[in-house]
Amino acid sequence: MKKKKWSQTGREHFLAWCFVAPATLAFVVFMFWPLVYTLYLSFLKWNMVAINKVMVGLKNYEAVFNDPVTKKLLGNTLLYIVILVLLIFVLPYILAFVNTFVMGKGKGIYKTLLFIPSLISLVVGAIVLQWIFNPLSGPVGAVLGRFGIAMPSWSKTKGLVVLVISLVAVLKSFGYNFLVLLSGMSGVSTELIEAARLEKTPNRKIFGKIVMPLTSSTAIYVLIMSIVQGMQYVFTPIKVLTQGGPDFASSNIIYGVYQEAFGYYNTGKASALSIITMLVFLVLLFLEFKYVEKGVYYEN
Amino acid sequence: MNSIRFEEVSKSFGKTKVINQLNMEIKKGERMILLGPSGCGKSTILRMISGLEAITVGNLYLNDQLANDIDSGDRSIAMVFQNYALFPHMTIEENVGYGLRINKMDKGEVKKKVVEVVDILGLNGLEGRYPKELSGGQRQRVALARALVKRADFFLLDEPLSNLDAQLRGQARKELVKIHEMYNQTFIYVTHDQIEAMTIGHRIALMNQGDLQMLDTPHNVYHRPANVFVATFIGSPSMNIISAKSAGRELLVGPHRIELPDMWLAQIHRSDSTNIKLGVRPEDMILSKNKENLSVPVDVKYVEDYGNRVGYYFDLGDEEAISIMSENIFGTGDQVYWNIKPDKLHFFDADTAQSLGYPKEIR
Amino acid sequence: MKIKNKQNLIWHVVFILLVLLFLYPIVFAVSTSFKSLNEAFNSTLNLIPKEFTLEAYTSILKKIPIVRITLNTFAIATIVTTFKLVTGVLAAYSFVFFDFKGKTLMYFILVSTIFIPFTVTMIPNFITVSKIGLRDNIIGVALPQLADATGIFLLRQHMRGIPRSLLEVAKLEKTPHIKILSSIVVPIIKPAILSIGIIFFINSWNEFVWPSLILKSREHYTLSLALQMFVSSEGGTDIPVAMAISVLTMLLPLTIFAFCQKHIINTFVQSGIKG
Repeated sequence: MKKKKWSQTGREHFLAWCFVAPATLAFVVFMFWPLVYTLYLSFLKWNMVAINKVMVGLKNYEAVFNDPVTKKLLGNTLLYIVILVLLIFVLPYILAFVNTFVMGKGKGIYKTLLFIPSLISLVVGAIVLQWIFNPLSGPVGAVLGRFGIAMPSWSKTKGLVVLVISLVAVLKSFGYNFLVLLSGMSGVSTELIEAARLEKTPNRKIFGKIVMPLTSSTAIYVLIMSIVQGMQYVFTPIKVLTQGGPDFASSNIIYGVYQEAFGYYNTGKASALSIITMLVFLVLLFLEFKYVEKGVYYEN
Repeated sequence: MNSIRFEEVSKSFGKTKVINQLNMEIKKGERMILLGPSGCGKSTILRMISGLEAITVGNLYLNDQLANDIDSGDRSIAMVFQNYALFPHMTIEENVGYGLRINKMDKGEVKKKVVEVVDILGLNGLEGRYPKELSGGQRQRVALARALVKRADFFLLDEPLSNLDAQLRGQARKELVKIHEMYNQTFIYVTHDQIEAMTIGHRIALMNQGDLQMLDTPHNVYHRPANVFVATFIGSPSMNIISAKSAGRELLVGPHRIELPDMWLAQIHRSDSTNIKLGVRPEDMILSKNKENLSVPVDVKYVEDYGNRVGYYFDLGDEEAISIMSENIFGTGDQVYWNIKPDKLHFFDADTAQSLGYPKEIR
Repeated sequence: MKIKNKQNLIWHVVFILLVLLFLYPIVFAVSTSFKSLNEAFNSTLNLIPKEFTLEAYTSILKKIPIVRITLNTFAIATIVTTFKLVTGVLAAYSFVFFDFKGKTLMYFILVSTIFIPFTVTMIPNFITVSKIGLRDNIIGVALPQLADATGIFLLRQHMRGIPRSLLEVAKLEKTPHIKILSSIVVPIIKPAILSIGIIFFINSWNEFVWPSLILKSREHYTLSLALQMFVSSEGGTDIPVAMAISVLTMLLPLTIFAFCQKHIINTFVQSGIKG
């Protein structure tokens, strides 16, 4: 046989790189380079149009830390996270457990029905919910009115505005998270549950001591996605409905970046804030892994 | 001309060595069995022949040509996988003709060859079906058909019968031999099943943990095992291996002194030490109430009735032995005699476990 | 037994309530879109319009180039889906069936980008698109959406389910990799590719952020931008019209879902396990 120029493995390596090249190209241009460039921008003073960019070192970061608005943004971010984790992680987690192990016949239809809202655009969700929660003319207001309760103007109320905006994200994420958690549940052997039931273990203990450890890897994934995706989802209703108001009460660190960049044209400060955001997220991720890792070990 | 030759071949996955200095020759047209327990390396050897695994050290020759760096696709190999590896989205006809089509054979030619092979394997009528519609036995034959249609030099089979029901296996063994005799390709067949090895193979290569234990005909592997591993692997229940001591013309087994016939004297003294191992197959251990010339008194410890055979457990010294006979005539506690048949003995070195050889009187 | 049934019943009630809550917004939107402006304001709790009317829909046709907008949305979604599927299939194949140095690291890096919020790459991507001169252009909207690793992740999971022996059969027949991909791998995971493609399409169809940043003129709008036109902070504008556009936007995803339910749900079910 002829001697080949490249060995079989050598040729395969080349081919392998060719196959990943198109995707990698897209990532380099629209993900990795921008990451680096954002970091670079965070050290500049620039308004996105001027020819001159001025290097200002860490001034942007200082500006972010000294800005009183930043505190509000961080506080709101935390509030959003708490609400989201409760409604699109904890709640579907418990319900997935109930649906799999506590309910009997006819339980399969729910996952399909609950998934439907996940297909709806966030803009649609925002606008529809805006109207549903309209204090004067919306159905919720009308129902409360029958009970004699005046509905507060949520878009002007601190706290409530975060809640309503979160509900848009909940509408979008709940069904999907429920589905994923259900699939995690299916990995738990029913024999374990039956054995526990024979010992008259109450359901909450079955959940806590058996199901949670065994589904921990799926659960961590959903928890992290709830935060990461949830925070990005609320951007749209904020932009469409409140633009961060009233007085930054509905804004968070994600929307804050957008405002600085495309509202105030402080490219440098916006970039600094987004780098800080990324670090915050990375810390959250790290904490999650560390704290919940015990649960994952259980499974192994 | 040798079909396949392994020359000092070793194979490692990272730091783990799985094949150790293999030297092996496979003759053209023979049915060679690679036999051994799980993890012994037999599948790895098969895959090295096919090129699906690279050779770490040493040389592999195919038809006397150095093949280490030749692409799998350029070696003349047909392979049948354990799980059949049929393409689920292709019909039987498309599956069988796959290789021919990829290599740009004329469509008419492909059809002709496929039809021929489908007929040989009794798959007529199933050409338009999909694998999931077929039974396990049928799928296995499709895998064979696909391999056969290629008329490759080397026909590799990786445990092809292990997923079949026991009843089908007997039939399948015969068919495999018939298929081989059709074109006389070089068959290399991996299995962990002794019966397949003994009945199908011209020669058996018995592997254990990466080392070739013995390469010989089924007859020799059974009657003249090269070491304790081979002796105990072949045959079920396993050969009894009893510790013994050589003392002049006598063999000391536990408290018993056995006077050995002359023919064995050379062998038992081959070992450096006086400690040796005596091997006797259970079916060669005949127990009787009658004492014959060369015999050892034993007490039946335990009896197992298998229906068609009976197993009698007894002690020789500190060790336990089993005799298999066809009739249930003894009970626990019976005092009987093991009448030794000198031509059914095997001796091994106690340290190296290697066979001490056989006198020329034994075939 | 009695207690079990009672518990069962309670949970079913809980789920039914949940389903009603979650589906209410959709039902509400549909119902309101067929109401007159008057009725929308005054009888907001009625799900069935007293006076069924199409005036919301007809006024859309008059006010905005809805057909053009729908086509824009469709075009962007098609471009994004095609690109992500093709590049994703190729990349996933490489990660599953090739061995090369740095493979695991590279895969890990790509997949970890899923956790990066879009704000971090937003500004440079905006600048890039503007510099290429693709502001207010469909392609400009499509481009930033291309760097999405979820496809690679899902496709890889599905490809891993293909037994290696199938590829070895192909290798023994000297099948070139690109043919293995096209004639063996892709046909086997076709249902997964279909569902993943549907998900990509729906996500792009619903996308709001990039269109809002890049598009300026109405004729280039997507449906999500068109909808935004009808919003004020008070929500006081023409509600039936807003709901009508919402319904039009929802129509495509819901229709696709109605036809491919099982496929779509199965794809997601397999994605979340052991991320």
